[in-house]
Amino acid sequence: MGGTEPAPRSRLMDVMWAMAAAALFVLLLIEAPGELAGILVAVAALAGASQIMVPATSGNRLSLGFAVAAAVPLVMRTPGGAIDLVASGAVFVGGALVSWAIAVLRGEEAVISLAIALRRAVGAGVYAAILRYVAPTLGGWGLDPDAAELIGFTLGSVIWFLLEMFLWAFVTFGRRRISRRYLWLLAVKDWMVALSLLATGALFGFAYARVDLWAAVVVVAVPYAFAHLAFHRYQDARTTYWQTIRALSRIPEVAGLSPDGHGDRTSAMAVEVGQRLGLSPDEVEDIRFAAMMHDIGRVTLNEPNVIKMGFTEEDIARWGAEIIAESPYLDRIAHLVRQQHHPYRRPGEFKDLELPMASKVIKATSAYDHATTELGFSHLEALEVLHRGAAYDYDPDVVEALREIADANL
Amino acid sequence: MSTQRLVRIRLAVAYVAIGVIVLTALILTQSFPNVALWAAFAVPFVYLEWRAVEVNDQLMASSTIMVALTGGTIFALEGSSAALGIATIAALGPLVPRDFRERRWFQPAVNFGQLVISAGSAGLALDLLIPSGIDPGAAGNIALVVGAASVAAIVYAVLNYGQVRTIVRLAFGRRDIRPWSGMAMILVSYLVMGVLGGFLGIVYGAVGFAVLPLILVVFVAGHYTFASYGELREAHEATLRGFIKALEAKDLYTRGHTERVAYFAQLIGEDLGFRGSRLERVRVAALIHDVGKLAVPRDLIRKRGRLTEEEYGDLQAHAHVVEDILAEVEFLRPMVEIASGHHSQFDGNGYGGSGHQHGQRPAMEARILAVADAFDAMTSTRSYRMALSQDYAFDELRRNAGTQFDPHVVESLARALARTGERYGSPGFTDEEQARRMAEGRTRGRN
Repeated sequence: MGGTEPAPRSRLMDVMWAMAAAALFVLLLIEAPGELAGILVAVAALAGASQIMVPATSGNRLSLGFAVAAAVPLVMRTPGGAIDLVASGAVFVGGALVSWAIAVLRGEEAVISLAIALRRAVGAGVYAAILRYVAPTLGGWGLDPDAAELIGFTLGSVIWFLLEMFLWAFVTFGRRRISRRYLWLLAVKDWMVALSLLATGALFGFAYARVDLWAAVVVVAVPYAFAHLAFHRYQDARTTYWQTIRALSRIPEVAGLSPDGHGDRTSAMAVEVGQRLGLSPDEVEDIRFAAMMHDIGRVTLNEPNVIKMGFTEEDIARWGAEIIAESPYLDRIAHLVRQQHHPYRRPGEFKDLELPMASKVIKATSAYDHATTELGFSHLEALEVLHRGAAYDYDPDVVEALREIADANL
Repeated sequence: MSTQRLVRIRLAVAYVAIGVIVLTALILTQSFPNVALWAAFAVPFVYLEWRAVEVNDQLMASSTIMVALTGGTIFALEGSSAALGIATIAALGPLVPRDFRERRWFQPAVNFGQLVISAGSAGLALDLLIPSGIDPGAAGNIALVVGAASVAAIVYAVLNYGQVRTIVRLAFGRRDIRPWSGMAMILVSYLVMGVLGGFLGIVYGAVGFAVLPLILVVFVAGHYTFASYGELREAHEATLRGFIKALEAKDLYTRGHTERVAYFAQLIGEDLGFRGSRLERVRVAALIHDVGKLAVPRDLIRKRGRLTEEEYGDLQAHAHVVEDILAEVEFLRPMVEIASGHHSQFDGNGYGGSGHQHGQRPAMEARILAVADAFDAMTSTRSYRMALSQDYAFDELRRNAGTQFDPHVVESLARALARTGERYGSPGFTDEEQARRMAEGRTRGRN
């Protein structure tokens, strides 16, 4: 993906941003009525936890820092019991600075990692402010103070999560050729992991404030460890599943029945086209699998009777779908592979509305890869083939998206 | 067959009766907890129980009971009856949609009774050990409450596990199952859950109702993900199985070979005491043991008579390329190694890929696979000969035990098949030459 990275900015700007954040941190630290030691411990905990990543459903990674940040306002209270916004803010900014320093030491890009760290601090600050002002207001209306605090937490964490995800989608959109709809849906997919992180933090905060540190640690550590293990196992299983699908799809390729690497290239490109077209993350995932396996039917081509009788593109699609349908979990994929040979529209007919978008994407992408590798066409010649077939063999929208992706990948 | 059914009917009736009696006695003598509080634990419990049954995982089962134990601790602290509270929650556990869909009656009936007994006893332990009305936040009381919850967890684990194992032993005639074996690990995980339940009860006592959603959210999320993970693993194996089945289905004579070898390998593995991931490794290795052939031109596989030197080299090369591809999948790497060693001999001769080292005894898993593969090869019909009888196959395996095959593994397969009562191969053919002639005669007749 060359050419899509932002232009490097001067080192001076990074240093200035970091110094401004550091000044804010010192200012908050001086203003905070709480103990200095407490704030520093919380900063260390926040920065440390931010290094522990949790694989989330979308394939993105959320950090355990979410949990610690959720606990901070509940723990940092004034002697009167109210939430101490200044101390919480100091912890958020301090944690962001330390995380940023660690990221830079690890060799990550300075501007981007500072932006990420400060974005987190802003989101957490919004959460703390909602918690600080909503809970007492609700309490003033005669609601039970615990229930008021829980409602404040729920409201604050939902807004925080949406804000964080919106900013992530916004920034990523600026950097890559992906539709907003796709990114937004992808980000929201992680709600369950985010919710368990936030609830873990809040539980710690409540238990710490009312019982003691050790009760809080036990109550939080065991359920969270269970959930953490589950998230990791799930992600590992997903990776394994994909790798196995890929390996099986390569069997016709190594047997010399299908061009080498065709499945890999088609899958990678079809995913980008699907993202560009604004399909949902689930649909894009289906495209990834179906495009990888779309030529698996070719494994039958060394059958003596196939060699004798010959075959058509439709046969390959059908044989592939039959093989894939043997696995009860891949019904959707089998359907997509079966449909992939269908033209968008036959002359004199209306377009087929039943034809899944994923199948149209696979058909066009596979043709592009075939043209550029097997037929030895150039990028422009291959696009010319697609353009000539647009509105008959290929969906014009798909061809348009594919052209943009292919141009960018040059 | 019918005596087994009779045993099952008796067990089911007895357990339902005991469950109803215990529940009635508790309802008549004990005070029911606050209904809203009860429902706050009953709903997640039922949800988790459903998911746990669908995936069937011990770790998940123990986390389910944590929900009930937390509820019990809180009921006891509030001064109502933990025994009645948990027993009624546990009684909802067997209402699993899957059992109803598949019209099972035995499991739900027996589970109802045994869960009421186990959970009721755990609740009684909580009622006895936690005095009502104490301040749960006081230092001495924390240890008391956590200790009581741990005792209750142990009581539950011993009763639940012991009963389930005994019931399986009686109802399904599984004499090899002893009620207490494998208990230590389970006790540890339940103890952790008990300690956690105790602490959660204390936090609830100190913070109040607001903390319940927070407690349950993390557990339900973890639980849900674990269940999804279990489904994904099933999907993975089903996909592997389905693909290999579909690919080999093209060849009439090897159709079903892979699945049978996987089944025999699993039987042997179970007999040798393999469990969990080690058993899975053997099973999956068996599934992929012939995958190399899928990329080999079909006429080469089905060729009658000996292959030429060149053809043989071609076959090996294709097989190794596929093995290399599968070895790129990290999860499958150890299984590919086992699979590639399945032509190794017990005495170190033979051939194979990465799993074969000349002059060395192959890994146990590869020895299992060698026996399972040879047994199925002999007892199924091939293009060049009819299926041989099971007795002939075992004579042949025993004759080569110690050189080609591991004698322990051969006997293990014999034991496992005797236990299941299955027989393979065609009983008529006890002579390899005869079976070959029959096959040739048959094809000649057809042509």
